[in-house]
Amino acid sequence: MRTSRNVERRTILKAAGATAATLGLAATTGCGGDSGTSADGTVTIRYAWWGGEPRTIAIKKTIALFEKKYPKIKIKPEFTDYEAFWEKFQTQASGGNPPDVFQNAVTFLRKYDKRGVLMDLKTQADAGNLNLENFRNGVLANGQVDDKQVGIPVGANTMALVIDLKAFKKAGVEAKFGWTWDEYFTALQTIQDKLKIAGDTGYFSIMYLYDLYLRQNGKAFYTDSDLGFTEDDLTQWWEDGYKRVKSGLVADPKKIEQVKPKSGLSAGLAASEFTWDNFSIRYQGEGESDYGLAPIPTTNGKDTGQYLGSLMLSAFSGTKHPKEVAQFIDFMVHDPEAGKIMGYDRGILSTTEQYDAFKPTDPNNQGVAAYEDQVAKAGVLGKITPHPSGADVIEAAFLRIGGEVAQGKTKPADAAKALFSEAKAAFAG
Amino acid sequence: MTSVTTPAARTENERRRTGSLAWHVGALLLLAVVLYPVIWVFGASFKPSKDIIASIDLLPTEPVWANFSGLADGISGISIGSFFGNSLMYAVLAVAGVVLSSSLTAYAFAKIRFVGRNLLFTLMIGTLLLPYHVLLIPQYVLFRNLGYIDTLVPLVAGKFLATEAFFVFLMVQFMRGLPRELDEAAKLDGCGHLRTYWSIVLPLSRPAIITSAIFTFINAWNDFMGPLIYLNTPSKYTVSLGLMMFRDQEGISNYGSMIAMSLVALVPVIAFFMAFQRYLIDGMATSGLKG
Repeated sequence: MRTSRNVERRTILKAAGATAATLGLAATTGCGGDSGTSADGTVTIRYAWWGGEPRTIAIKKTIALFEKKYPKIKIKPEFTDYEAFWEKFQTQASGGNPPDVFQNAVTFLRKYDKRGVLMDLKTQADAGNLNLENFRNGVLANGQVDDKQVGIPVGANTMALVIDLKAFKKAGVEAKFGWTWDEYFTALQTIQDKLKIAGDTGYFSIMYLYDLYLRQNGKAFYTDSDLGFTEDDLTQWWEDGYKRVKSGLVADPKKIEQVKPKSGLSAGLAASEFTWDNFSIRYQGEGESDYGLAPIPTTNGKDTGQYLGSLMLSAFSGTKHPKEVAQFIDFMVHDPEAGKIMGYDRGILSTTEQYDAFKPTDPNNQGVAAYEDQVAKAGVLGKITPHPSGADVIEAAFLRIGGEVAQGKTKPADAAKALFSEAKAAFAG
Repeated sequence: MTSVTTPAARTENERRRTGSLAWHVGALLLLAVVLYPVIWVFGASFKPSKDIIASIDLLPTEPVWANFSGLADGISGISIGSFFGNSLMYAVLAVAGVVLSSSLTAYAFAKIRFVGRNLLFTLMIGTLLLPYHVLLIPQYVLFRNLGYIDTLVPLVAGKFLATEAFFVFLMVQFMRGLPRELDEAAKLDGCGHLRTYWSIVLPLSRPAIITSAIFTFINAWNDFMGPLIYLNTPSKYTVSLGLMMFRDQEGISNYGSMIAMSLVALVPVIAFFMAFQRYLIDGMATSGLKG
């Protein structure tokens, strides 16, 4: 009994000692990595992004390329998926410790600009560390907030209509450039009659599509600081949507929910879905049919209301190495080799150097490129809708409340009222 | 002479048998409902990635090993073993911290009379009411200023300082139930507080300690927020963060590997529970007066 107790104690003491040692070790590493500059003048900058494995592999290759060209700069990658990224970023930003460079999206620009997290990269451009020339189709403006350049676009994408090519062909309907909403819904009706599947997966819950519709009618989803439409506008939009759910023109939201995470389009529940063109790669991977990009329906037979959105790179305003950060962003958006490696993963490459360097070989990327080309040539691309602080929260609320309308849980008028009150809170927060 | 069972007795027997049969069938049905998700995960881990979200069959028509063999390649250049190593390190340190610090704290609250004991005890229970999200940013700033971001320290430091009030409470309640005579006897034999704690109270509190250890292990293993906020370098990520890396909102999520990994991630938790639950039962069955 006694001996066994001694042994026990010894093991426990050992364990405690090991624990203390580990804590001590961890402590030393913790102190080392804070300033980001080592004795030989090598600078370390943290670069964070969200995305799947293919993106991570590509970005790691571009980082290796950059480090070869700038041996004095080391890049520390941090990556996770979209939701986790922003959850983490929020804490890091509040705690004054965001990454030096990070992937960003239009919806978050004003939010973090308001909190002083984003660096105005114009100063670095003036200092010659970052080139703001050669951006295609005016996408550079996507990264501007009140004359400040807080984001540098890495790619461009636009809202599109993804259609089930086989279903459209079988029903004998065709998506034409400049078709009107009436023509679109008539086509869906034909599909429903002939193929017994719904036409669309739930268009009226997508904030970015409603934005296009409003833009076609001389409004927009946002003004600089508020919503750009009235409660009555939205009530009407959701009432029409709900009617189409009941008639079966829009797929049953319960079924859409059941096939998640698969899309209702690739599950064969409906023949079309609105989404960003660079997301369209998923359908081929998930579904059995052939999918293609089709024009957005219009109100007047011409204007689609489309614009180019962007993922971009932003820098932390408090970074200790603004020059190196600017050089890194410059390399990532202008270097032709980096463009070749990234391809259209984050949208059609935003600068002419990279756009010319990369020629897509797979049908999906070729389709996306052709689509954006077609839209640009049609001359329908407008200036991006402003995204006030809180736009990210409102986008999610629009999807959620729209879904409640679709299920018949909330009346369109009440739903519109709910969205307006949530938007008010989001703008204030 | 053969015994003759009266019709009444027979029906009584039959009723008992059918009653017990119904009870078992009911219990099995309930078990099937509870286990369904586990069976689904198990079945899905042998399906081709595309079928996981496409087919509604519980078990794969043609089982494939690809999901598991795919794990061997790691994800985004990080080996799966590194996620498991990090999680194990975190969980083991957390268990060590909680067991040592909570039991010591609980001893003080349960066995020593000192001024302000009740007030301090109430305050400690009060910390249970603080929502995690209120503490998140102040804690982050604290650990950032100390230079401990991207290490395990922010995740386990609190565990070594008895901040897990629930486990302290659990052990206090348990230790209060131990007979006073035992520590009085120890005192007569010349034991100080540390000796009484170490030689008398700690061994007798085994059930409470094992319970705390099991829950701490599971909590640490499943913790997502803590590692997400504090760990930056992907090679330091834990299993829960690693699982998220298979998701891809803009492209095609790798469901096959994700499911396979979540199945593998269950193994250590189950193993830990299996290894310690017998002590739990053993501890409850024996009285405090052993040996």
